[in-house]
Amino acid sequence: MLPQPDLSTVLGRVASGDPVAVRDCLARYGGLVWSIARRFEGDDAEDAVQEIFLDLWKSAARYDARVASEATFVAMIARRRLIDRRRSRRRRPSTETIEHEAPIATTAHGPDTCAEASQAARALDRLRPEQRNVLLLATCHGMSHGEIAAETGMPLGTVKAHARRGLISIRAALLGVQEEGP
Amino acid sequence: MSRDVELLADRALVGLDDDEANELRALGRDDDESYDLAAAAIDLATLSIQPMPAGLAERVIAARAPVSMKIPTTLAGWSMPQIAKQAPEKRRRRMAPWLAAAATAAIVIVGLSWWLLRATPSLSDDRADLLAGGATRIDWKATPEASTTTGDVVWSASAQRGYMRFVGLTPNDPAKTQYQLWIFDKTRDQAFPVDGGVFDVTSTGEVIVPIAAKLHVDDATLFAVTVERPGGVVVSKREHVVVMAARS
Repeated sequence: MLPQPDLSTVLGRVASGDPVAVRDCLARYGGLVWSIARRFEGDDAEDAVQEIFLDLWKSAARYDARVASEATFVAMIARRRLIDRRRSRRRRPSTETIEHEAPIATTAHGPDTCAEASQAARALDRLRPEQRNVLLLATCHGMSHGEIAAETGMPLGTVKAHARRGLISIRAALLGVQEEGP
Repeated sequence: MSRDVELLADRALVGLDDDEANELRALGRDDDESYDLAAAAIDLATLSIQPMPAGLAERVIAARAPVSMKIPTTLAGWSMPQIAKQAPEKRRRRMAPWLAAAATAAIVIVGLSWWLLRATPSLSDDRADLLAGGATRIDWKATPEASTTTGDVVWSASAQRGYMRFVGLTPNDPAKTQYQLWIFDKTRDQAFPVDGGVFDVTSTGEVIVPIAAKLHVDDATLFAVTVERPGGVVVSKREHVVVMAARS
């Protein structure tokens, strides 16, 4: 069952049908979504941003402040859409490019600093360098295991192990639990 | 590592194909979003937030699928004051407290904005404060790619923040390239310098840019600025290094 919308959060207000909340959400998280999309999509980021926000409006009711910060939830929705787009683009390459307009200062504000980001940064710090490198290539640039293997020269199995183990460590740090064993 | 954990980690990092998604569903773990949230947290921890392009927010709103959102004209238990049918004098009397409240609010907002502007130090002032507090200052050494660039980097290890100052650095087109700072930490593997954030330069005059280190820097020995693709990279190929500053 979905949680009752928490009207103290922007997503809760979106879910409750507050028409102003949509603009508030764009103002607060537009830069975040845009920046993640740029990492994955480069010049195609605008289309991706529109799709991400459509996903976000539909998913807003699922947001539960007890589980994660709003920024982390928004980033998760963004990543899912971007990963889907990247997987389908691998099947159907595109060469179209889009001209970008000048950025505006009014949307330059990032999301509120969230605890998960700080915890993740500290946990990243504790990973072995090669594990951190693989994890960041997968996470921040949406590179496939095969692409990372080609980029780093590591065997495919090693890349998969580093990526999975690295993510398991970060998750354990965020949840404050022991890593799931082999 | 169990198969469900493998699939959950892969979904969060690279996505699953249909067969894998069905396998995860069959294992009864497809509702577990904790790995996806962990990957999202990594994104947040390493991201340099850039503003959306002008007009994109409006296009997002315009593209929004019709939903059952209506602008409320009434709220439960409340109604808009019916003033249209009142006599002008009576209407003015009824409006006076509202106008007074609005004027007071406007004065408070203007005053608060003025106070905030005064209270927020400029980049230049904050840089000077860091220097006064003992931060390290190192002059940039230009490379052949930016031979006329001068300036310095100021870094406070205790505050874990600092500023880059450039004069003569070529403005970039953010749609094509961005500058990215790298911080070499003596306590870390030198093959993996700390990402100091991506930034744009819009003027060849003096530009001050705050440093946004993504990880804790214990002992900064070298700062280097490279030209990278928009959004920056996780590991630079160091093909286009424009300036460097090494601690002596």
